[in-house]
Formats: sequence, C-alpha cells, structure tokens
Amino acid sequence: MTVRQPEVAEPAAPPAGPAPGPPRRRRVWGDGQLSALATAALLVALGVIWEIGSAAALWSAEILPAPSALFPALGALAGDPRFWADAGRTGLEVLGSIGFGGVAGLVIGVAFWKAPLVGRIFEPYLVSFYAVPLVLFYPVMIVVVGLGTPSVIILASVMAAIPMALNTWVGLAGIPPVYLKLSRSIGCTCWQQLSRVALPSAAPFVLAGLRLAVVYALIGCIAMEFTTAQAGLGYRIRYLYDSFETTPMYAYILVVLTVSIILTVLLAVLERVVMAGRSRS
Amino acid sequence: MTDRGIQIDDVTVRFPTPGGEPVTAVDRVTQRIPERSFVSVVGPSGCGKSTLLGVIAGLQPATSGTVVVDGRVVTGPDRRVGLVFQEDSTLPWKTVTDNVRFAMQIAGVERSEQRRRALEAIELVGLTGFESAYPSMLSGGMRQRVALARSLALAPSVLLMDEPFAALDQQTRLLLGAEVLRIWRRTHQTVLFVTHDLSEAILLSQQVWVMSYRPGRIIDVIDVDLPEDRDASVVSTPEFNQLQNRVWESLRAESLRGFRQESGVGR
Repeated sequence: MTVRQPEVAEPAAPPAGPAPGPPRRRRVWGDGQLSALATAALLVALGVIWEIGSAAALWSAEILPAPSALFPALGALAGDPRFWADAGRTGLEVLGSIGFGGVAGLVIGVAFWKAPLVGRIFEPYLVSFYAVPLVLFYPVMIVVVGLGTPSVIILASVMAAIPMALNTWVGLAGIPPVYLKLSRSIGCTCWQQLSRVALPSAAPFVLAGLRLAVVYALIGCIAMEFTTAQAGLGYRIRYLYDSFETTPMYAYILVVLTVSIILTVLLAVLERVVMAGRSRS
Repeated sequence: MTDRGIQIDDVTVRFPTPGGEPVTAVDRVTQRIPERSFVSVVGPSGCGKSTLLGVIAGLQPATSGTVVVDGRVVTGPDRRVGLVFQEDSTLPWKTVTDNVRFAMQIAGVERSEQRRRALEAIELVGLTGFESAYPSMLSGGMRQRVALARSLALAPSVLLMDEPFAALDQQTRLLLGAEVLRIWRRTHQTVLFVTHDLSEAILLSQQVWVMSYRPGRIIDVIDVDLPEDRDASVVSTPEFNQLQNRVWESLRAESLRGFRQESGVGR
C-alpha cells in the first residue's frame, strides 16, 4: 500500500465525491420551463376546445358559457365594487385562517414534540378530527360566535391547524438525534435548539403541513360562505347560482381557482428556497 | 504539577433497564489524560466507550465520580470541549462554511472573526474549494471533515471523537486518520478518540486504553512508543504489529465474552 505524506495539504483534491456544480440546477430550470410551456399549451388547447364546443352549441350557454363570454364578465368584475368587497372579505378570512391556523398548528406540533406524553394523549383526537368534515360544526359556530367573519375564521383556522400540527410533529420527531446532541454540545439554549436546528431540520415536513393548511383554509372559508353567509366569494357564487346568472358565476369560480393556483405557486417557490441544497426527492 | 488535561476520577454510569437490573456501562474508571496528548479507547462494541466519552463531554451525567477538564469539574456541555460524532452531524440546509460557522454563531464569536476562523478550519481539514457546497454534494468522509472543522473552529483545548470514521470505508478511514494526526500535530489539543479499530487507535495515539465488556472497566493501558511524526505507512512496520498483537491480546478475551453475552450463549 502506498500512502502519501500528508504534511502538505492538498488544496483542491479531497477524496472523490460528486463534484459540486450547477449542471443539476440548470437542468431543473430546463424542466421547469418545459413544464410551464406544456401547461400554457394545455390551457390554450382546452380554451380552444371549450370555445369551439360552445360555438357549435354542444352544450347550452346556460350550463357552460363560452370563454369569449367569460372574459368580458371577468373584466366587468374588476370594475365592480361589490366584487372587491366580496374578494376582500374572503381574502381576509383565508389569510386569517392560514395565519392563525398555521401558527397554532406549529405551536401545537412543537408542544407535542417537547412533551411526548401530551402528544401521545392528544394525538388520537387530532387524527380523528382530521377525518371529520369540520364544516359540519359551522352552524354551532354561528350560534356561539354569530354570523360573520369571525365564525368562518375560527373554524377554518381549526381545519388548517390540524394538518400543520401533525406534520410539524412528525417532522420534529424524525430529526436525527445527533443534531440534538450537537446543539447541546455547542451550548444552544432551548430556543436556539428549536429555531436554529430542530425547525430547519423539520422544515420539509412543516412546509408540507403549511401546504395542506392553505388548502384546508381555502376550502373551509369558501364552503362556509357557500352555506350561510352574507358576503364573500363563496356566498356570491351560490347567490349567482340561485339567480341563474351563469356567466358571472363562472367568472367568480375562475377567480377562486386563480387565487388557489397563485397560493400554490407561492408555496412551491417558498419550498424551493427552503430546500436549496438539500437533495432528497 | 498542572491540572490541565482530563482527570477521570472513579466514574461509574449505570442505566436502568426495562428488566429491572441496571446495566453498568462504565465501572469505576479512574484515568488521566495529560494535556496535549492523544489517547484512544478501544473495546468490544456495547462496552461503555461512548458513554465514557459522553460523561467527559458533559452530555451524560455520571452515576458517581467526577471528571475534571482543564481544572474544571464537568457539570454540563462546555464549549472548550469539541465533539465529533459517529453519525453525520452536518446540517443539510447549510453550506460548508455556514456549518463550520454555526458553532461559533452560537458561541457569540464576532462576525468577521467567524469568517476568518471558518476559512482557516476549512483549509486545515483540506476542504478548500468546497466552502459554498452543501453537505448533500459531499461524500461521507468530507462531511466528517466538515464536522471536524466545526469543532476545531471553536479552538477547543480538548477534542473528543466518538468513532468519527466508523461509517466510512477502510481506505478513507486510514487517510482521514493520517489527516487527524497531521492536524493534531499542528493544534495539539488533548484528544480522546473512541474507536473499535485497533490499527486506527495505534496509528493515532500515544496511549491506548482497552475497555472491558459490561461492566466497562479500563483493563489495560498500552503506551504507543512509535515516533510522533508517523504516517499511515507505519502500519506495515514490525513495531506496529507488535503493539497490535499486544492490544489484541488484551481485547480478545473481552470481545469473546461480549460476543457470547450479546448472542446469549454464555447465559
């Protein structure tokens, strides 16, 4: 066996390993552009088919209006103060639910991790709550809190908090024990251990929880507005449905769809930022 | 006589077991590591090597006995004691530089000083050129170098290493061992190195302790009188072989006993 004299440090030739480099990242970008292109093409194709179908009267405009009729309706919404009032209320509800639910879920997840006994006691309830369509409790909420924004926010926050709490907990419980040993050995305070080591380590799970929280908050708010409310996008959709105003109804639906897509994209961007450098996919 | 170095005084560690009878992982160990010397502990797996190291690091309370590091009784983790773990402890969301800086950030080292010391430590462990790489781009051996650099950057007076190369292949181990020796010759910390690899222990240290299987006692202390500026080629010399035979002699009976107990033959 030949062994070199290691007195002279080798500057840039440590043992073999995958070279760090941008090629992989560049390819991901290429993939991203490709899929964006594909999505755009798909949407255009769908729009064309939809328009042709409407023009050929394959279905009546009462059921599904043509895109060419929908876009002017969308434009009209932009100048309609009632639309902005509805959108404002729903936006407030959704953001409030994501905020409250997300923070509450995070705190609960951390508490369960810090106090495993508490976690073990409450976990079954949390998991079974997960399966319950919480919207069912909306009438109770109305009785207790009254009709309006707060009752929607409370219930949607609960819906958002549950997946957030479960995911945070699972993520924290799965931290390699050596990270915690490390943080103790270098003298981290309790808060530093949580904020500098534990939560960053669990970040992929926490983000997955946040994704679900956003979806649940959106579903919760719209669904509750749908059933009983005096304003909001969900209420307006039902109202327009009841009064046979199909075209503006579809315009509203498109707005909701767009909002949910924007939220998803924002989360995907956040995930990409957080996951930078970690390669586990 | 100075009280620097590590003084282990009658340390015992017992763990409760579900079966009721507590396991004695470390049994009345009294040893001294003089300042600036390199000591290895070998022993069969499952003996209290890592537990003993945990006690010195302040991560594991001793059931009885005391450890004094550089004149201070150990009551908890101390930043003057650097630790390198067996498992990969690099944080995957931080670059190499940020990983090395992390311990200094917690210790409150000034920013510009952090950078300077991080680059120095990275150079010392031979990772220059990988400062902004993420751990996922590095091999296992390189990640252990990052962990070592993180400890070294705090300029500890004592370095405790818990089988840091156990998860690596034999060649990488040997080369990293030579690197550790080279670094130690420059920094000269007091080092306690836990391993189950006899040749690694002899190659690196000035003294080898042999630990018994439960209860964990130090049953033999072997001085390694090889030249201090040895490198990995010393492995093929007759003196090395002699030492290795000597350590193995002490260890064989213990390993056998441990093996029998773990596989339930001797009970």
